[in-house]
Amino acid sequence: MISPGKKKLKLTIRVWRQKGSNERGQFRDYLLQGISPDMSFLEMLDILNEQLLDHGEEPVAFDHDCREGICGACGVMINGQAHGPDNETTTCQLHMRRFQDGDTIVIEPWRASAFPVLRDLIVDRSPLDRIMQAGGYVSVNTGQAPDGNCLPVPRHDQESAMDGAACIGCGACVAACKNASAMLFTSAKVSQLAQLPQGQPERAQRVLNMVAQMDAEGFGSCTNTYECEAACPAGVSISHIARLNREYVKASFCSTAEPTIPMK
Amino acid sequence: MHWLKAFLTSSVGRKFVVGLTGLFLCFFLVVHLAGNLLLYVGVDAYNEYAHKLHSNEELLIIAETLLFAALIGHILIAAGLTFTNWRNARNKSYRTFDSKREDRTTPMSFAPDQTMMLTGLFVLIFLICHLSDFKFGLGWENLGESYSPAQKALLVLENTWRQGIYLVGVLFLGYHVSHGLQSAFQSLGLNHPKYMPTIRRLSVLFGLVVAIGFGSFPIAGLVRSQTNPTSVEQVSPVEGGEAVDAETPHSPEH
Ligand code: FES
Repeated sequence: MISPGKKKLKLTIRVWRQKGSNERGQFRDYLLQGISPDMSFLEMLDILNEQLLDHGEEPVAFDHDCREGICGACGVMINGQAHGPDNETTTCQLHMRRFQDGDTIVIEPWRASAFPVLRDLIVDRSPLDRIMQAGGYVSVNTGQAPDGNCLPVPRHDQESAMDGAACIGCGACVAACKNASAMLFTSAKVSQLAQLPQGQPERAQRVLNMVAQMDAEGFGSCTNTYECEAACPAGVSISHIARLNREYVKASFCSTAEPTIPMK
Repeated sequence: MHWLKAFLTSSVGRKFVVGLTGLFLCFFLVVHLAGNLLLYVGVDAYNEYAHKLHSNEELLIIAETLLFAALIGHILIAAGLTFTNWRNARNKSYRTFDSKREDRTTPMSFAPDQTMMLTGLFVLIFLICHLSDFKFGLGWENLGESYSPAQKALLVLENTWRQGIYLVGVLFLGYHVSHGLQSAFQSLGLNHPKYMPTIRRLSVLFGLVVAIGFGSFPIAGLVRSQTNPTSVEQVSPVEGGEAVDAETPHSPEH
């Protein structure tokens, strides 16, 4: 919806600049004019970068891919909030109409020891990939797509598993957590697969290994402050964390599985 | 036993133990409060309760061992987790941070869930004082065996220092458990939309009950010490006890 009549915004962008993981970073202020309220947040950053290039400066590096809220690449901290002020919205889906003319917008990368800054707003989120590799999969060969109702999955379980599967792996839960814990991320996958028949054979091993990997990556531990749930652009609920806790206790006490990930 | 070691060293397993011990301690608080409230029913009811409690030595030893084990385990593991979180989790803090939780009613830095370590620390200081008063009787040796449990309790509660420490202590305790109770459920994996909202409300209510219930004792003590103090001369020694010097002051500082 283009509305050319709307007042253009003049903004001060206070953004974190850091050349590399081992460099010292600092905040830099940039003045931006003529920002349309209909622009997305990333389009605003594009304009900023064009302006920087015009002045012979390095553009601000930021992660992005789909720009439609499904890949999870674009997360940054906007005025102290993961993905900005809107609930269940990624940075790329945030629009400049959420800001007022004359605002100063502070943009920071995710901050967590497990997520070192690579450059400007880009952090290394590969620890999340390694948690997935530790058990976030089903290794049973499923062959061809089965008939629709061959595998009976109750509707409730299917819905709940889907809620977990909605995680886009952006890392906002880690970023918003005061302990930089990756529990919401890890629990989303554990919970999804624990509720589906395909996930049963590896159910116990999966939760033990994913938690072991999560701990080994140096994420903090959950203290139930539920900031993750509020920051999650996919609306993943902390009830998945409770399910992970259950699964973990069950796997530890009622199964022969043991974590195969070396402990830290 | 590799599995048990893995469980007890993992973040999830340790949180489980913190939750389990916390829930047990909450249960103890309920029993403790119910016992204390007998003081309002009457001195005799309270004494009878205290005597009954102490008449079964074995049971008492088991209960106290369990209680201390739970308390120490709860403190050590929670403190360990918190310190690791502080040291490791975030090597650089945010310039600004703003909660996205819409149900936050207290400013972020004062919220119960953000201050568990601090409120827990205050509770611990209070507990040390409380145990030294009631369990070990430190500073109250002059009361000897000659006073009934109720009389001892009244004397302790009429001490100005104790009133302050006890009141502040139980307020922090109430604040602590208002997050702690529902957090324990979550850590044990007991969270379901059908009852979690109730548990969360119950948790706040429990915090209030603890703060008001226990807090009423030092306040009642303050009122009594202003209006009608339990003087040592007034209280009659329990039968069979030694006679007490009428001049014995009731404050431990003397
Ligand atoms: S760029 Fe893919 S979610 Fe934002």
